[in-house]
Amino acid sequence: IPSVSSIVPESCLLIVVGLLVGGLIKGVGEKPPILKSDIFFLFLLPPIILDAGYFLPLRPFTENLGTILIFAVVGTLWNAFFLGGLMYAVCQLGGPGLNHIGLLANLLFGSIISAVDPVAVLAVFEEIHINELLHILVFGESLLNDAVTVVLYHLFEEFASFEQVTILDIILGFLSFFVVSLGGVLVGVIYGVIAAFTSRFTSHIRVIEPLFVFLYSYMAYLSAELFHLSGIMALIAAGVVMRPYVEANISHKSHTTIKYFLKMWSSVSETLIFIFLGVSTVAGHHYWNWTFVISTLFFCLIARVLGVLVLTWFINKFRIVKLTPKDQFIIAYGGLRGAIAFSLGYLLDYQHFGMRDMFLTAIITVIFFTVFVQGMTIRPLVDLLAVKKKQETKRSINEEIHTQFLDHLLTGIEDICGHYGHHHWKDKLNRFNKKYVKKCLIAGERSKEPQLIAFYHKMEMKQAIELVESGGIGKIPSAVSTVSIQNINPQTLPLERVLPALSKDKEEEIRKILRTNLQKTRQRLRSYNRHTLVADPYEEAWNQMLLRRQKARQLEQKMNNYLTVPAHRVDSPTMSRARIGSDPLAYEPKEDSENLPIITIDPASPQSPESVELMSEEPKGCSGLPPSPEEDEEGLVMRVKEPSSPGTDDVFTPGNSDSPSNQRMLRCLSDPGPRPEPEEGEPFIPKGQ
Amino acid sequence: SREDFQRIPELAINPLGDRIINAFFPEGEDQVNFRGFMRTLAHFRPIEDNEKSKDQNGPEPLNSRSNKLHFAFRLYDLDKDDKISRDELLQVLRMMVGVNISDEQLGSIADRTIQEADQDGDSAISFAEFVKVLEKVDVEQKMSIRFLH
Repeated sequence: IPSVSSIVPESCLLIVVGLLVGGLIKGVGEKPPILKSDIFFLFLLPPIILDAGYFLPLRPFTENLGTILIFAVVGTLWNAFFLGGLMYAVCQLGGPGLNHIGLLANLLFGSIISAVDPVAVLAVFEEIHINELLHILVFGESLLNDAVTVVLYHLFEEFASFEQVTILDIILGFLSFFVVSLGGVLVGVIYGVIAAFTSRFTSHIRVIEPLFVFLYSYMAYLSAELFHLSGIMALIAAGVVMRPYVEANISHKSHTTIKYFLKMWSSVSETLIFIFLGVSTVAGHHYWNWTFVISTLFFCLIARVLGVLVLTWFINKFRIVKLTPKDQFIIAYGGLRGAIAFSLGYLLDYQHFGMRDMFLTAIITVIFFTVFVQGMTIRPLVDLLAVKKKQETKRSINEEIHTQFLDHLLTGIEDICGHYGHHHWKDKLNRFNKKYVKKCLIAGERSKEPQLIAFYHKMEMKQAIELVESGGIGKIPSAVSTVSIQNINPQTLPLERVLPALSKDKEEEIRKILRTNLQKTRQRLRSYNRHTLVADPYEEAWNQMLLRRQKARQLEQKMNNYLTVPAHRVDSPTMSRARIGSDPLAYEPKEDSENLPIITIDPASPQSPESVELMSEEPKGCSGLPPSPEEDEEGLVMRVKEPSSPGTDDVFTPGNSDSPSNQRMLRCLSDPGPRPEPEEGEPFIPKGQ
Repeated sequence: SREDFQRIPELAINPLGDRIINAFFPEGEDQVNFRGFMRTLAHFRPIEDNEKSKDQNGPEPLNSRSNKLHFAFRLYDLDKDDKISRDELLQVLRMMVGVNISDEQLGSIADRTIQEADQDGDSAISFAEFVKVLEKVDVEQKMSIRFLH
């Protein structure tokens, strides 16, 4: 039995909810709130656009930029004029009710309704998972056509109040298009650069880093809107520009914060928008005119289909990968209208546009139709037409390497041909980026880090975190990789580390041993250690661990020696094989802790004396059991960051241990005890040098 | 000849410049004539659909996906043993990444790469494995240049 949500896209359901709520309020006798345009434009729309812009998959976007631009600009213009013109004709013919609507009004109406709406597109396309190309085409188009919409809207609105429209006005209008779009982008870029620059200096106040991102983006949006430039384009430009630099500068936590905040806000906004749409439908004054509405609907569809067909024919001449008819169909079908159209319509002035209500009714009808009908049917259609779906895979490092390789290759070939193609410009941009821009905008050493390495680190960290979370001994990256996570500044760290590639048998062996001796590793909480207390499963896992240890060792040491966990761990046989060498290492926390500021988030200083203390208690004959669970937990909670020192010692002091490889194997694993694996991920972002 | 190629400024800064140049020259020769030049560049022609239907019996056209991949593979594989060994991979990485990164790091990346791609456990990437890894990358589109348009 198919559930409702698999048939009906979320946006439809939300609108229905809105309708119900509106009906309820009206039924009670109150006046339901209408989606006011300023609320919409100022508060509800920006988060969605920022989310889209910040996480825009840049590569497919730039590769298809030409296509997207043509669809956005020419397509929207075509839609607007075609629709406007046809509606004018209909109005003239339509009888007494419609005769008075002038050409300008119709053109205005056309421009309002012709814009494909990013919110609606996002909502529907998210669920159907079509392949990246189509997604980015429709989505990119919906984002970029804002410039056109803004220009046309303001243009026609202005003109409506003129007595007469001259050619000069039209030409000015045409020019204003460039001003609006390029101006918007410029504003966005400026703010993006400022934001990136700011983030360079935030290494001491990590907590407010996300704030800068949001703040600057919002300011970009507002500034652009202030000057009647395209706010959406500004927002997107800001997000796109600031992203690489900001991500290089900010801490992992901030990055996660930004990501989830954006997702949250945009989700909330989207929901609210659709609900409000439903409520407004019930609340607004409607003027239903059959001819007008039906013909609007009809012509909208026709205009869209025609536009897409013609443009694709034109574009395919220039594309390497052509757009098949199936693609074209999806693109045409995906032209959903949404709340932006409604709000723009709502903004219309009663004085100039007496027929505002009729327009609004028509707009709402079109929106409903596209969202409900097209939204609902697009999924089965996608399945029916066997359109390629999105491939849900993570990028492997192989892909990254080879893609870069191919990029270089292609650039070279292009140079040989003297052909200034796509790769050539990209390469140039990259070089420029590396040479000048990165130096300014990224703090410290990270500016020299090549993209490949950054990617590699990211992957490693992700994998390490995954490993921890899954609590098991999954596939272990080659042992040496954890070392490299720490190794951001190769110059500062000793280079005589021996990093053998583990042969598979040895790996297997190690894994087996560890598997038998370690049981469940605790579910370690990640970078949020600081703020979360240890939960119960922690204790459980610890108990089990303890039991194991008890069993494994011949126990004369049934003492409760509540010393540090790491110290004990050194002794336990399960670890001893791996940690044979770590004894001497344990005594060197101090000197290594200078290297460690990179690792801990909290300043290491208050804690390192502690650690020294703890370490030094070792020789007092403790061997014993690891402390009791409660103590342990406390110990863990309090010194949650601390024990990373002994752990990392293993890495930093070269080759003392017999089995360095084993140690590193361990490090990869979520070994029990407060060994914040994700902390290792932290050094990935050096906190100032 | 090779010097002519090397006079192209962008190729000098391109990390893979030398290898690309070498790819043009067939075995052992030092001069490239137009035909050879064209053959190499033909690998980069965009794939067209109608070609596939024509050429079922004859040899595959030079710009088919597998030939494109073969071309790229040859650029990695210098000793032409049909495998990309760890060293060859290291060399390429070193060229692409520059001098700032330590050898061990590169080594670990190379190991990781091989580990990910290697299926028959020989610690080297054979052509089939190479193809498999890149199956998700849209090679036809990437490795195509529109000439003379």
